[in-house]
Amino acid sequence: MAYFSGLTDALRITFVQIMILSTIAIVIFLYGMMINFQKWGAGAIGYALEPQEGKKGSAITFLKTWWNQVTEESHHGHGKPILEVLILDVLFQRRILKRSPIRWFMHFTIFVGWMTLFALSGLMFAVEMTEKIGIELPFTPAEFRDMLSLPNYIFGYVLLIGVLIAIVRRLFVSEVREASIMYDWVLIGVVFLVTISGFVADGIRTGIIWDFGLDPSVAPPAALFHSVISLLFCIAFIPYSKYIHIIATPLAILANKGGE
Amino acid sequence: MAKRTPSIDTKNLTAVQLMELDSCVRCGECVKWCPTYAASGQKPGLAPRDKILRWRQYMNQSYGIKARLFGPQEIPKSELEEFKDDVHGCTTCGICSTVCEAGINTVELWESMRANLVKKGIGPYGKQNMFPKLIGQYHNPYMKDQKDRLAWVPPDVKIENKADIVYFTGCTAGYNQLALAYATSRVLNKLGIKFAMLGEEEWCCGSALIRTGQAHINDVPRETAKHNVEAIQKKGAKKVLFACAGCFRAAKVDWPRLLGKELPFEVVHVSEFLAGLIKEDKIKWEKSINKTITYHDPCHLGRHVGVFDAPRYVLSHIPGVKFVEMDRVKEFQRCCGAGGGVKAGIPDLAMAVAESRVKDAVETNADILSSCCPFCKRNLMDGRDSLKVDMVVEDVIELVAEALGLETK
Repeated sequence: MAYFSGLTDALRITFVQIMILSTIAIVIFLYGMMINFQKWGAGAIGYALEPQEGKKGSAITFLKTWWNQVTEESHHGHGKPILEVLILDVLFQRRILKRSPIRWFMHFTIFVGWMTLFALSGLMFAVEMTEKIGIELPFTPAEFRDMLSLPNYIFGYVLLIGVLIAIVRRLFVSEVREASIMYDWVLIGVVFLVTISGFVADGIRTGIIWDFGLDPSVAPPAALFHSVISLLFCIAFIPYSKYIHIIATPLAILANKGGE
Repeated sequence: MAKRTPSIDTKNLTAVQLMELDSCVRCGECVKWCPTYAASGQKPGLAPRDKILRWRQYMNQSYGIKARLFGPQEIPKSELEEFKDDVHGCTTCGICSTVCEAGINTVELWESMRANLVKKGIGPYGKQNMFPKLIGQYHNPYMKDQKDRLAWVPPDVKIENKADIVYFTGCTAGYNQLALAYATSRVLNKLGIKFAMLGEEEWCCGSALIRTGQAHINDVPRETAKHNVEAIQKKGAKKVLFACAGCFRAAKVDWPRLLGKELPFEVVHVSEFLAGLIKEDKIKWEKSINKTITYHDPCHLGRHVGVFDAPRYVLSHIPGVKFVEMDRVKEFQRCCGAGGGVKAGIPDLAMAVAESRVKDAVETNADILSSCCPFCKRNLMDGRDSLKVDMVVEDVIELVAEALGLETK
């Protein structure tokens, strides 16, 4: 099966090629996460303790220390039940809502848009894999892709709303702009690039709204560009950038039982 | 060429704390609320977000991917010295933790960073380095004789040799702010509560050492915690009352941690104890205090362990009291500026923060600014005097004593 994206209309990318690209992105991601876990695992296993002399940081040390903190009783009396923390603080992002409804709306739309698009891509992949191994489904992968078209649009726009609010804040709210460093700009710039490239690639293909008058012949390379940067930035780049907060922040909230 | 070694290590920083550095999303909430950042004229280095950023950079320069591939990058000693100054310019009030969107336990992070640097020979700050010697040698930070622990006790106060309840005075109330000790002991006597005291066997709670990153030096806090717990047990106590928020926090959070086990008695702040008695209708007030009173939450009593309502409950039940709240209260309270070793190490900063808090109180038009901590009281009085404000600063227990017709001198 050939994808729509490719170098040209004639040279479209194949399932195998996208699998290779995805694997490369996942390997880069896993390597970065291993480095981060080892970096974190270089810490002590408890408050006011020292790391074991001469022992390198390990992912196991980190995971054990994290789990021990999640499950131990809090002396401060601030601890909340883990399920409550998971639902209200991690998924619903209550701590942001308490501080700033606008920033919560911005972050929540990015979170919901991003995660849903990621999940829809995962579903698409699952359907393709099911077909590859010979299990028959009531629809073909192409039909399924069409079914996902509307939710992809909706959640793409949800993501775009959040990204635009984030950019406007960072550009036009002086206290945010002045405190911004490259670490922050890269994050929002990359999300913006991935989101916009998705809309543009689709717009050129369908000729609706986002085509900017571009020739339909550039639709496959535009789609390929979106696919590659999505894999690069949405997976591979996570451990090496501010994207790491996608993993570290929920873990910190859980470890601190929802925080104070 | 010899392989470079990292300029920092991870001593005292837990694996979770190292992860927390990467969980900061730099939202800036901590910067908005930090009392020392505001009182310093917004010195950038004091912003909690900035401290997290710098230590994350140090970690990446020492243990990140570039460090693994090309060797660790050297961090100049001067930079670490500057960082030390900034990380000690914090009262460990914990507001940054309360407002942190990533739920980072910042207080413990600052304490761990301080300890890490102290172990490296960088820090603590100024006079704070006297704490281990003083507390280790004299068992109090004021170089007072242990024999004088009960020298303040007036003839009218009756102390049991053994009792279910022990009143842990604390060094500050026992040596310097005697009004707090007079008030607490007389109130307990008046209410018919039999209590014992540790006297010479009461050692410093160790809070100053833990907050300033010096807990490891000769293991003094663990030694004092062990000693105090054993001394309390010898008195047969089931409940220990604290009128000092710093000691209360140390006993409630730090002692069990240092000793690796739960304490064999209940740790209670005197405001909680009194609130319980009021609810049981066991307090018969004798005088009215016809004043407007506001209340400052000590960080160690409020944000650190969650006691917000008991002092308010007590104050609002004193006859004649008109209770008013300041702008920033309970979990969002503005620190008085004395904690975390700042009063001892950076008194100017402590004063500037205190002035901010006194201004909060002035806005309420209260006659009395009350609190539940001798450190807060001292610093708020200094702030009041500096601003030349006509306002009484008094502990809640002193007000209770007054309403019960008792002397606090």
